[in-house]
Amino acid sequence: MSMATVTQLPVPRRWDAIVVGGGHNGLVCAAYLARAGLRTIVLEARDAVGGALATHELVPGARVPVWAHTVGRLRGSIARDLGLAANGLRLVQPQARVTSLLPDGPALTLWADEAATRREIGRLSAADADAWPAFDARVRAIASVISRLAALTPPDPTGAVTRDAAGLQGVAGLLRLGLHVRGMAEADMRDLTRVLPQSIADFLEDHLASEQLRAMLAVRGVRFTSMGPHSAGTAQVFLSDTAGTDAGAAGETVYVRGGPGALAAALASAARRSGAEIRTSSAVTAIRATDAGVSGVVLASGEELLAPIVVSGLDPKRTLMELIDPEVLGPRLGWQAGNLRLGGVTAKLDLALAELPRFRGLPDADATLRLRGRLVVAPSIRYLDVAHDAAKYGRISDQPWLEATIPSLVDPLLVDGAAASGVRHVMSVIVQSAPYALREGSWDEARETLAARAMAVLESVAPGIGTLVVAREVVTPPDLERDLGMTGGHPLHGEPSLDQWFAWRPMLGAARYRLPVPGLYLCASGAHPGGGVTGIPGRNAAREVVADHHRA
Amino acid sequence: MPQRYDAVVIGGGHNGLVSAAYLARAGLRTLVLERRHVLGGAAVTEEIVPGFRFSVASYVVSLLRPEIIRDLDLPGHGLRILPLDGTFTPLDDDYLWRTDDHAHTMREIRRWNAADAEAYSEYGMLMVEMARFIKPILGITPLDPRRPDPRDGAPLGSLLRAFSQLPQRQQTAFVQLMTMSAADFLDQWFQTQPLKGTMSASGIIGTYQGVRSPGTAYVLLHHYMGEIDGAFRAWGIPKGGTGGVSESIASSARAFGAEIRTEAPVARILVKDGRATGVVLESGEEIEATSVLASTDAKVTFLDLLEPGTLEPETEASIRRFRFRGSSGKVNLALDGLPDFTCLPGVGEHLRGAISFSPSLDYMEQAYDDAKAGRFSRRPYIDMIIPTLVDPRMAPPGKHIISCFVQYAPYHLAEGTWDDQREAFGDAVIDTIAERAPNIRSLIVGRQVLTPLDIERTMGLTEGNIFQGELSLEQLFLNRPAPGWARFRTPVRDLWLCGSSAHPGGGIMGAPGRIAAFELLRTKGRAA
Repeated sequence: MSMATVTQLPVPRRWDAIVVGGGHNGLVCAAYLARAGLRTIVLEARDAVGGALATHELVPGARVPVWAHTVGRLRGSIARDLGLAANGLRLVQPQARVTSLLPDGPALTLWADEAATRREIGRLSAADADAWPAFDARVRAIASVISRLAALTPPDPTGAVTRDAAGLQGVAGLLRLGLHVRGMAEADMRDLTRVLPQSIADFLEDHLASEQLRAMLAVRGVRFTSMGPHSAGTAQVFLSDTAGTDAGAAGETVYVRGGPGALAAALASAARRSGAEIRTSSAVTAIRATDAGVSGVVLASGEELLAPIVVSGLDPKRTLMELIDPEVLGPRLGWQAGNLRLGGVTAKLDLALAELPRFRGLPDADATLRLRGRLVVAPSIRYLDVAHDAAKYGRISDQPWLEATIPSLVDPLLVDGAAASGVRHVMSVIVQSAPYALREGSWDEARETLAARAMAVLESVAPGIGTLVVAREVVTPPDLERDLGMTGGHPLHGEPSLDQWFAWRPMLGAARYRLPVPGLYLCASGAHPGGGVTGIPGRNAAREVVADHHRA
Repeated sequence: MPQRYDAVVIGGGHNGLVSAAYLARAGLRTLVLERRHVLGGAAVTEEIVPGFRFSVASYVVSLLRPEIIRDLDLPGHGLRILPLDGTFTPLDDDYLWRTDDHAHTMREIRRWNAADAEAYSEYGMLMVEMARFIKPILGITPLDPRRPDPRDGAPLGSLLRAFSQLPQRQQTAFVQLMTMSAADFLDQWFQTQPLKGTMSASGIIGTYQGVRSPGTAYVLLHHYMGEIDGAFRAWGIPKGGTGGVSESIASSARAFGAEIRTEAPVARILVKDGRATGVVLESGEEIEATSVLASTDAKVTFLDLLEPGTLEPETEASIRRFRFRGSSGKVNLALDGLPDFTCLPGVGEHLRGAISFSPSLDYMEQAYDDAKAGRFSRRPYIDMIIPTLVDPRMAPPGKHIISCFVQYAPYHLAEGTWDDQREAFGDAVIDTIAERAPNIRSLIVGRQVLTPLDIERTMGLTEGNIFQGELSLEQLFLNRPAPGWARFRTPVRDLWLCGSSAHPGGGIMGAPGRIAAFELLRTKGRAA
């Protein structure tokens, strides 16, 4: 080794905390850490922060969300704490929440206005229209408990009674929470232990009769997960999707003006104003750690940064299996981390359209109003089930279910400069199931198959849409892994299943944002309360980091 | 003049009989009322084909609580359990054959995959540890989260303490067992498909779930909790069929002074001022009792035997949500000789244990896919035993019987009725067996096909669910059969639930019957 090589590297700089990954949770965490006075730096591998929140240009002048297309789960208290409005964030909430489109029947729209929703459901089923207010109230009540759980650091059951006073306090806190939730009917409270492990299909069947209504709701119990509507625990996924929002049973539909990337920009701006430094194009290739703890990170450039605290905004598997020396991890943790379940089954199809397609089953009078919500193609629970069955055997669904948005209807600025490209609208379509691990063939070939099948489903509800497509792109699970660093292409950094939930998310013994290496923390969707654009894992992790920092 | 008892038990299945025996032992004047002419419920032996005696429904035993065997002196009342050694999984041209001989099983698994053999020992030890850890739950009363009683809290507290003292690997395994799918759990350990397929089967027995459905790992563990003579995970067949279990419990109950009447179907539970006061039989006869115990399932007990309107609408709605969804059937065959498997021809030891048609996880899951679509599995999972190899007197000399537990057979069919499809279902089972043992067809001298509908009609099990309600996570412990009513007590005072619809659920375990009796005695201030 020549002397020249050694002197070329800058002297390692010291920080109080290094946040690896500039996704929304990494940025939230960094902002809170900086506000608490920690010298904090965020290291992002890509040339822009935001991760799955990014917006990108599909054709010149037309921009689409890279992954997340609505952001209604962003926790209001975080937006207030960080002053996101002052940092440029503008949210848009259309009157239509979600519209279920059928190939051969009238569409069904759930609205922000409950009376409108009831009238609409009443056309389908009088019984369901009657049941809706009580059902919606029940969903809100249970979701409010989940929302409180989400804000907590889970207790550590591995030492709940004997070893860890914090664990004991956590359990006590949970009991208080469980026993005294104000405004919740006793029956609802009692039912909580029954509802949480339930399947979304069973939960909905307990309350609603109409197949179209059940299926359009059930989508949120299985979205981004490798589970079917009959899988235990999917009711909890559905209720978590409602937790912390004012959306109720219909679910949130909130857009960011300028695309979701504008939320990432606001978060980055807030973090910088709080004093955090953010470096893009700085991929971390290793976290320096010994049994004594972490000491910093190494970048792809070879540069080293030092800090006694490293907070990972990456998924837990990648953090532990790729960035930490396996000898430090040891065989047991290696086995545990290696078995984390992160097999993504969701793909995305983005379309640049010459004009707004005509959808079946929509009344002419208010079609555009309805199209501003999320658009779901999932006619029945059985349809969702069959779509999932394919994934179990490593196949792409013949008829995937879809959740689409047409953000340009709400935010015309997204296609402001696209007239020359002949594009008037953009459409963002979540497509499921499309398993990361295909049994046969490769994703290079399967990409077109997936696009064709998703387009065929779209054609069935919007005849002629194919002729309107000016440009399109397909994002497959391997793309998610390659471009956004999500292991297994899992957008939630791990299945939100009961075995990777709450006090054991991402795994037992590591659910309090502390990974089993001293000084190493997890602040993203792989930690409690999981994925979705909430910012909560980032804030909760920051709270724990700061507490440890002050204790040290 | 109506007769008066301290306790009347509705249903002479194994749980009803266990309750009655304990109550009689404590000195209560106890009467058991059984609808059929035979005792045992689903644990019953009947001669369906002349000369051939079948364990018609339930056919193996492992989970029966050792303390019940001891307390009720069941061996003294004729109970003999004959060991069932090994599990043979036939494939097209190969097989996987595990036995109680550890060295043999190791060699056999190594033949498939050396790493799996390694993992198998470790896995086995872990599961025994897990079963040992969780077993106390089978003996406790779920606490009432609204009004915690310190007496109920103590066992749970000691369980929590025990958990915090487990090595972390076991803690992790426990959480996974409570939440994962059987397939995901096994995928962490093994590669060999026939091994995983066969092991996963324990996770779906009696449930309307697939091996990839979350929550099935618990059912896997549920079936690990059995022990025979102190040996965990051991399975056996009762001498004389599973009716032998019921008869020994009945004999013990009678010895303690209980009265047992068969062909005495209960029409209604009598309720006065919110309190159960007795029963009225279909014959019109009224029987008064201080306490009424129902070993019938939650639907039969609360929705059929109580006068409509007895329960608060909210409680009734909660009971209606309890899910049954029977998913299994039974095919019993009378044979002229023994089946000959292509992959391992001849009459050998491999026929003496369980013979499992479960070549892979995919095979198991595809069987479930059929059920989800509302039809019986075209290629079902079959757990077959040949009891006559262990207990030859069940058939005439030289003849044999085969008992096939079959899944999936969903109670709710998308098309047609079970009465139309019974024989087609039986044929699918024979076809599946014939693929591996082609001589089977020529041996059959009699067959009995039990669909979930038949199980419902004959045994009174709603929707043919063998566990009196699905063993899914949301229907366990605190929520079995309904949130707030998991403590064997019911919304009607002096009416108790003592069957498998109550904690800890089904299988020939006897635990619900025993704990219910203890709870009742505790409430009455009587020593058990």
